[in-house]
Amino acid sequence: MRTTESNPSPSTARGLGLHVLLTLLGLAMAAPFLWMILASLKTAPEAGDPAWLPRQAQWGNYPEVFRVIPFLRFAANSLVVAGWVTLLQVLTSALAAFSFSRLEWPGRDRVFFLYLATMMLPGIVMLIPNYEIMVRWGLMDTFLGLVLPSAFSAFGTFLLRQFMLGIPRALDEAAEMDGASKWRIFWDVILPLSRPGLVTLAIFTFMGNYHSFFWPFVMMKTVDNYTLPVGLLFFDSEHGQVTHLLMAAVTMSVLPLIVIFVFLQRQLIRGIQIGAVKG
Amino acid sequence: MSAGRPVRRWLTGVGFLLPNIAGFCAFTLAPLVMSFALAFSNWDILRHNLFRKDAIRFVGLGNFSRLFSDLQFWRDLGNTLFFLLGLPFAIAGSLAAALLLAQVNRRRVSTGSALVVATVVLVFSGLVLLSGGMAQRGVVFLFGTMAAAVLVSGVLTGGTLYRTLFYIPHFTAGVATFVLWKKLYNPHTGPINAALRPLLDGFSSAVCAWPGFFALGVPALAGCAMVLLALVQVRRLRRRWDDGEAGAAAVAAGILALAGPAMVFLHWHGMGTGIAGGLAGTVGVALFGAIVRRPRRWGPIPTNDAGLGSELSLALIGVPLLLLLAGAIRAGPTLPAIAALGIDPPDWLGDYAWAKPALMLMALWAAIGSNSMILFLAGLSNIPPELYEAADMDGASAGQRFWNITWPQLAPVTFFIAVMGVINGLQGGFEMARTMTLGGPAGSTTTLSYFIFTEGFEIGRLGYASAVAWVMFALVLVFTLLNFRFGNRDAND
Repeated sequence: MRTTESNPSPSTARGLGLHVLLTLLGLAMAAPFLWMILASLKTAPEAGDPAWLPRQAQWGNYPEVFRVIPFLRFAANSLVVAGWVTLLQVLTSALAAFSFSRLEWPGRDRVFFLYLATMMLPGIVMLIPNYEIMVRWGLMDTFLGLVLPSAFSAFGTFLLRQFMLGIPRALDEAAEMDGASKWRIFWDVILPLSRPGLVTLAIFTFMGNYHSFFWPFVMMKTVDNYTLPVGLLFFDSEHGQVTHLLMAAVTMSVLPLIVIFVFLQRQLIRGIQIGAVKG
Repeated sequence: MSAGRPVRRWLTGVGFLLPNIAGFCAFTLAPLVMSFALAFSNWDILRHNLFRKDAIRFVGLGNFSRLFSDLQFWRDLGNTLFFLLGLPFAIAGSLAAALLLAQVNRRRVSTGSALVVATVVLVFSGLVLLSGGMAQRGVVFLFGTMAAAVLVSGVLTGGTLYRTLFYIPHFTAGVATFVLWKKLYNPHTGPINAALRPLLDGFSSAVCAWPGFFALGVPALAGCAMVLLALVQVRRLRRRWDDGEAGAAAVAAGILALAGPAMVFLHWHGMGTGIAGGLAGTVGVALFGAIVRRPRRWGPIPTNDAGLGSELSLALIGVPLLLLLAGAIRAGPTLPAIAALGIDPPDWLGDYAWAKPALMLMALWAAIGSNSMILFLAGLSNIPPELYEAADMDGASAGQRFWNITWPQLAPVTFFIAVMGVINGLQGGFEMARTMTLGGPAGSTTTLSYFIFTEGFEIGRLGYASAVAWVMFALVLVFTLLNFRFGNRDAND
């Protein structure tokens, strides 16, 4: 009896303890981030001082970044590349996932297994030949060359297939009765119902490609073509001593991701819950 | 089902697949075949380029045999595997974070009590602010205010805010994280050493005040802790063996994990590796015999290894712990002499011994608040609550609930995270090393991917670099198979 009935008081104490613990841990996780923002508001001499707070916030550091490096250019490059990769990958993955989950055709499962098997390959194995392909096709130092190899993903196909398998069959059977073509079923029935899965994949893809470094780093030779991660490294190696400006640049570079997460976090978690990892 | 149907169905199916499979063939399958061929060739940009067209020759296993005698390759392979040791801690960390976050919605807290705590924190940090100058104490006030604000809104909104805070490392992923942490680790201007310095000063003055305690007491305490841990583990193994939960292989693995650090420790104390190994081995065999011996039945030793996976995962966490304790025993006697000179915080990225731990610590921070945490959260919310209710009826303890319900139910998620972690871990490290240390100091942070970059894109030995990539693939395969065999995937079957 005691264990079930006397809940209120110990539970409140333990619950409060939990909240205090989470607050402390959360702040510890956020501390490097906080330091970054504070450091971005320091003056140059203050940046050499380990104290956390600037004497007076130097908001002028942010416009200053634009003068030191072509930050807007880097940001635009990153957004365009990540945006195109996301769009193409979600589209091609959705089409392929529909084929793997809803259509019956000879050899389907064998092809799907091949997709799955390549997911285990380290991407670095494909890096050198892809580089050669880009050199041959004359796509070095171009955005097309940056986008193309990432636009098709076995992981995305797998994720969306798992998701589409969870959509009741009765829905498309009903549409088929009404004489809808496969394309109509895909476009008007399955795709709208897969929205949480599509959003999840889109967020993963966008964040991953916004941050991706190795491929842009070996592909892009012109400074104006750098994406943000490559640009930040460039900034660090050219003006690494200018801590306050560097931190301002990093702060600005993570801003779009925070905006995305704050607006889409519920959908992201729901998408993962429904479909993604079921063995 | 008329005759034309299968062909039509095939055309429709492949039609939907076409955009994807075209790209898949061009940028995954073809490069794969090409890379495999490259690994057996002597393609070198210096010899095969626009100006000099020597024939590209097939060199058989030449690249691989060269790898065997390439000291740099072995060093980088060692570094890569060393970094992989952080993976169990990363998984444990993100799981712990997810468990804590999942608790929030289960426990209701009155807003009033949170407000009281928040007010106390605010008043305290305000007092701190009044007692010192703004610049010095301001940060305490800032953190106090933020803690109070987070606590109150955490209680009001139920977890969303905490989740966002924990997920923060994910936003600064990649180069942004590395550039930031390079500044944090700066030995002179970074906040980490600034925070460590007073702590270490206090520590060394404490050591100077009680030299006897630190020279003898600390090693004695660490020794006791080590023996205690070993005893607990032996008792645990004994019980699991008697319950039939662990087979001979699992018990042997558990004993080996205990004997390994002991061997290193004996070796540190000037004993030859052979003697140390022999001693540790004898004790290990004796322990094994003591556990496995069954007074009642002298039948053949059962070889089922149901518990091997959990013993191995435990060892992955326990062995570094035992080694740390052994280090404390070893360092204790010399501590007063060192403290008399004053202990300086480490040079982190500039120090051969500290560079790797520094990077692993950063990776742990990044891993706790990563997609793994979100995946674990999703997995936790998929566990049917009836399971916990049934366990509560049986009066299960928190530990039993975790090991018997949560852990097996999370098995597919853990398995997925472990496999992806191994794949990313083995091919990772390039961005980190390139941004923060350039692979140094003295190559201590160069990983296999960095080696591939240097060989392939800087020196231009594409054939050789491809061979390294395939060795990496073989490693991924071995680890994934091990994971399949021994990993936490009970719920899959």
